Amino acid sequence: MTRWTMVADLERCVGCQTCTAACRHANATSPAVQWRKVLDVEAGSFPNVSRTFVPVGCQHCADPPCVHVCPTTATRQRSDGIVTIDYELCIGCAYCEVACPYQARFLVDAPHFAYGAAMQNEIEREDPARLGVAQKCTFCSDRVDFGLENGLTPGLEPRATPACVNSCIADALHFGDIDDPNSNVSRLLREQKHFRMHNELGTEPSFFYLYAKAGDTESPTATASALPAEQQAEKIRTRGVEPWHQPHWNWKAAGNFLCGGAGTGLFAVTAVAGLDGVSFAVPALIALALVAFGLFLLIFKIGRPLRSIYVLRQPQRSWMSRESWVAAIFLPLAVLAVWSENGALIGIAAVFGLLFLYCQGMILKEAMGIPAWRTPPIVPLIAVTGLTEGAGLFLAMLPLLPELRPVTPAVAAATLVLVAARGLAWLTYSTGLRNAGAPTRTFEVLNAYRPWFLAFGLVIPAIAIMFGFVVTTIPTLLFALGGFSAFAAGWALKFILVTRAGYNQGFALNHTPVRGSGTAGPPVKPGWILP
Amino acid sequence: MSPTGPGIERTVSSYCYQCVAGPDLLTVRIQDGVATEINPNFDAAKIHPAGGKVCVKAFGLVQKAYHPDRVLHPMKRTNPKKGRGEDPGFVRVSWDEALDLVASKLNAARDKGLLDDAGYPRLAASFGGGGTPTAYMGTLPAFLAAWGPVDMSFGSGQGVKCYHSEHLYGELWHRAFTVSPDTPLCEYLVSFGANVEASGGVCGVKRHADARKRGMKRVQIEPHLSITGACSAEWIPIKPKTDAAFLFAMIHVLLHEHPRARLDLAFLKHRTSSPYLIGPDGFFLRDIDSRKPLIFDQRSARAVVFDATDVEPALEGEFDVDGIEVGADDEATIRRACKVSPAFAHLVAFAKDYSPEWAASICDVPAAAIRRVANEFLAHAHVSETIEIEGVTLPYRPVAIALGKTVNNGWGGYECCWARTLLPCLVGALEVPGGTLGTTVRLNRPADNRWSSVTPGPDGFMHYPMNSTAKDEWTGRPSVRSAHRTLVPLVANSAWSQALGPTHLAWMMQAEDFDKFPHATAPEVWLVYRTNPAISFWDTKAVGEAMAKFPFTVCFAFTHDETNHMADVLLPDCTDLEGLQLLRIGGTKYVEQFWDYQGFALRDPAVPPQGEARDFTWISTELAKRTGLLAEYNVAINRGAAGVKLSGSNYDFSLDPAKVHDVESIWDATCRAASAEVTDGSETQGLDWFRQHGFRVKPFSRLQWYLYPKLVETGLRFEQPYQERLFRIGQELKRRLHEQDIHWWDRQLEEYEPLPHWHDLGALWEGALAKHYNVRIEDYPYWLVTARSMQYSWGGNVGIQLIKEVADNVAGHGSVVMNCATGEQLGVADGDLVEVRSALNGTQGRVMLCEGIRPDTLLMIGQFDHWATPYAKDFHAPSMNALMPMLLELTDATGSSADLVKVKVTRLGGAS
Repeated sequence: MTRWTMVADLERCVGCQTCTAACRHANATSPAVQWRKVLDVEAGSFPNVSRTFVPVGCQHCADPPCVHVCPTTATRQRSDGIVTIDYELCIGCAYCEVACPYQARFLVDAPHFAYGAAMQNEIEREDPARLGVAQKCTFCSDRVDFGLENGLTPGLEPRATPACVNSCIADALHFGDIDDPNSNVSRLLREQKHFRMHNELGTEPSFFYLYAKAGDTESPTATASALPAEQQAEKIRTRGVEPWHQPHWNWKAAGNFLCGGAGTGLFAVTAVAGLDGVSFAVPALIALALVAFGLFLLIFKIGRPLRSIYVLRQPQRSWMSRESWVAAIFLPLAVLAVWSENGALIGIAAVFGLLFLYCQGMILKEAMGIPAWRTPPIVPLIAVTGLTEGAGLFLAMLPLLPELRPVTPAVAAATLVLVAARGLAWLTYSTGLRNAGAPTRTFEVLNAYRPWFLAFGLVIPAIAIMFGFVVTTIPTLLFALGGFSAFAAGWALKFILVTRAGYNQGFALNHTPVRGSGTAGPPVKPGWILP
Repeated sequence: MSPTGPGIERTVSSYCYQCVAGPDLLTVRIQDGVATEINPNFDAAKIHPAGGKVCVKAFGLVQKAYHPDRVLHPMKRTNPKKGRGEDPGFVRVSWDEALDLVASKLNAARDKGLLDDAGYPRLAASFGGGGTPTAYMGTLPAFLAAWGPVDMSFGSGQGVKCYHSEHLYGELWHRAFTVSPDTPLCEYLVSFGANVEASGGVCGVKRHADARKRGMKRVQIEPHLSITGACSAEWIPIKPKTDAAFLFAMIHVLLHEHPRARLDLAFLKHRTSSPYLIGPDGFFLRDIDSRKPLIFDQRSARAVVFDATDVEPALEGEFDVDGIEVGADDEATIRRACKVSPAFAHLVAFAKDYSPEWAASICDVPAAAIRRVANEFLAHAHVSETIEIEGVTLPYRPVAIALGKTVNNGWGGYECCWARTLLPCLVGALEVPGGTLGTTVRLNRPADNRWSSVTPGPDGFMHYPMNSTAKDEWTGRPSVRSAHRTLVPLVANSAWSQALGPTHLAWMMQAEDFDKFPHATAPEVWLVYRTNPAISFWDTKAVGEAMAKFPFTVCFAFTHDETNHMADVLLPDCTDLEGLQLLRIGGTKYVEQFWDYQGFALRDPAVPPQGEARDFTWISTELAKRTGLLAEYNVAINRGAAGVKLSGSNYDFSLDPAKVHDVESIWDATCRAASAEVTDGSETQGLDWFRQHGFRVKPFSRLQWYLYPKLVETGLRFEQPYQERLFRIGQELKRRLHEQDIHWWDRQLEEYEPLPHWHDLGALWEGALAKHYNVRIEDYPYWLVTARSMQYSWGGNVGIQLIKEVADNVAGHGSVVMNCATGEQLGVADGDLVEVRSALNGTQGRVMLCEGIRPDTLLMIGQFDHWATPYAKDFHAPSMNALMPMLLELTDATGSSADLVKVKVTRLGGAS
């Protein structure tokens, strides 16, 4: 077998960005779209400071999260390990971008040129197929393939070698077949100490960093398996290195989580309430409208809306694809159920609704590039908040829909339980996040929201609903108030999670490199609060 | 050029010489007639020291060619008023009209005489980039040669922005216009701010990366953690401009804390002037008859002339000797039974008080660190070991010292360059494998390689073409406006010397006359190419105002930049990918360009000229034709003014002087002569051959990387440690100036010491600023320094989007870099807008807080402050150039200053 691999020698790299520029030329990417770039990472405090230059880009992981999440099969992996994107299949949903822990993917919606109007070279190389779809480093697979077809060895022959490697003036970048024990990269990895970035995530990158010669010593902290607990994220220059907020999943994407979660939750509550003979048509239709509106928002969010049907192509792996399939079943089934007023059907539809809700949780969990999302407790949190929002919304509709009042006490009691369950889920989520570590700013955002969540997600709903049971004069209003508060707190939670706390993984070094002589330095993970 | 058209894809060979660390070779990918990609030239991988690669700057050339803001047509100024606030009112004119206009001004000037009433050339020219513009200006040098005297002394950054003192002292001591470690063999390198990873080009980067993998330890000593500091084994954050103290302490450690046997005594005795006896007046004690310097032979226990054979020179001790001292103006004093000591003994005494403990508080570096570096330097010197280079056994001394800008120029430059040259001498590591080497010559002649410039001079040293200070030979009336021959004997008088004189004097004198100096007239015609002194010099406001008064300025223009804003005519020349030129490559060149080959490379036009841009050779020929200098111009080309002499012993491709030759004919002849030169006349292929192959080389002996073998062959010595010649020249110069009642250069004259004592440069700077601007220097508590950027330096590429984009990946670009603690102290957060102000001027920028800089130092990378250059004028990046005063008090004896100034910081606003 062959597995193409990049090796970056941190002892050699000087951060000159020649590879960045060469990649821009070779791949004709738009301004600021840097499939390859070199980070400038400072660590330590004066006068004990290190500065490391770190080439980054697609790591062509052996277990690529982007391939797992891609709903359309546009992102695939070749047998030689190169992760590819089919621009004709990609719908520009950006799920791969939030799934990539290496911030390697780009999405450009509109033509963008160096000086506004296109220059001759930009006209010559413009590729409309790349607009509105994901793009990233290809390991210059066209050159690799050309080389193989012509008997040239990639990594050794320039015409068969990625442009960044060809251009590297420090000979810091190397490319070759790691499965060949005699290859250049295999030899380098045998002879020198190396690490892979974020390897703890299990992605198995095909991108290795050399940081010391075999005989070099390391500082004591560098050999520790865990990263140091305290990083000076606030004190050192870390722009471009520390996590930044994911730019793609905006309020429209959040809208799907808000509307879809509350809608399916409301549908489920309505279905259960319907068992008691209550007319469920209005709340059920509201629930369906919510779900449909959430999906509708997505159409306008993705880069290639006319291809949105391709979202169904990958139910084997992608939770986004699965969510779409479930939605495709849930929505017509639910409409049929409401139209037919068939209790069994509505029950089945509610199950699909809950599946939809579960898919939403799983979508976030599989977004490996966003520490605030990928933690497993996100799934129960999303599920239970969806149900809580649904129940809360149900209660909130009481003043307007008197026909629902017979089940009010039961739903109110259920809401009380759900509010408590959601509080527990939040606690579990928060604890899990602290235990896993996350970007400093993610914690800042969540911590800032915590008192509001406690107030509107727990205290007000609980007090209002409990008073609703006690104060018999205005129970409906109190239940509605408590329900609305619980619902609003859930929406706020998800909106914040998606659009405010969605900081990406950032970059980290397991070791700062030896530079000619001396010792390899300790790990660096700027902008993180570690467990 | 090969055919172009739809569907046709081809590759064109070219070179990149945008910075002084080149030239390097590249290829251009052409698709459908459009340049789309820059690539390394892998055909040159085996002959180019960096494997045929080019650095990031070359990748900006495609955007340069197609830049939407290019000047694409000749333009004429319509607004006679000049200045920053004046709209030039450029209007498009035809080439004929533009050239006729330029030629009429040139002819009018020529008709009045080549020199004006003040004795200065009526024609002036400024070219930036450390001489690199010649790689793009085709045959313009032939036109200038045909013209006659041209004033090249209006600087574009020289003095503060170059390795000024190093150029002069380096050439004097070891034919080192710039100095480099022998990186491929070096084991231990002490680097005082030499930013080779940013400014060393592809060869520097490659050689140092290889050295790191080999285990070379580099200790980087500088106030901020530069790219090079980042790539070093150790960073020592020294206080700005105190490097001499660190170096002197290293000398102290070697001389006073180790047995003499640890030094390379044989090298000191036979390859330096260490044994030369010093008389009471500080001059060599000489043999009364031959006037040769004396040494004391321990074998015969008597003084003998330095070149006596079979002697064992004493390095230390006191001896009673008869001799003669020859001082200024050949004034001789006979000494009888005079107690004298060798120069080395004077050095030992000189260094006694310069201990690491003394230096520690000056440099703000622990004495232990200084001592450790000195000890490691000695430990890695491998004194007494040898290595074989191409069959010749040479000393192997893998230790070197490198100096960066601001260390090796301005006050203190002498001390630092001297100490940097002396320390290798102490361990025999100057100009030997692994040691400290010179790169190329620009002041000495001939310049084809360093060996050929080594000829015997006085006292067993190499000849050096000093500007004479003898009474009847001194150039009392300046020949150009920088007065280089008058004021700076060391700068010599080669084609490069004018631009290395005190070029700021040329600008300063436009505003004020200097006492007893001729009134500095403005040049009647000023040619400008690839330089932008309106933003790149010091005190850019004053420079801009001076150039606005020039009556007729012709700019070969890429875009409408700040200097072009003052032009009367803009002439659009072909950019790098459009013009045709053959360039000499290989041998040893600046910075770290040490080749095993030498020859020529072609810059083949990759794309047709955009708009009405014209090849520089065509423009030059037209100028020659229209000024009636065609024959002289062609003769100059034949003589080699375009880079290659067109005839040799067995070939002759000379152009007919009487004819107008088209661009391709000129370069075809040049290519044929180059082929003949490389093959000793056996092959004479022309332009077509070079277009096919790109370059042509022959081997260059690695032995010529080192000067030591040549010195051994010629029996010469390095002029270290004792600077008797400079001491005498300084005294003579003082007499000459005082004879003309000129006293404003007196402080500079004090620098001519035989052993340069340490001076408190911080106090010197602070005193000069406080006195000149009448400010409380305590109000300006921070040192502001700058650093080169690989992405921008020398490139004139600040308007290239790709360059800006990738430069932004490198921390510090466009920012005021400040230590976190300083930020906290000032209440300034990362991203805040601040004003940084010197006593002269202020600049604004966003703060970048980091830990890799001293708390008393601020950093602004590169040169910005553009107010006209398209694209760049919107950067709002800070630049220190406007803050740097042009002051005589801050000018050293070589005519340079250092790129730093004291400043204060005011917070203007929060992060954007």
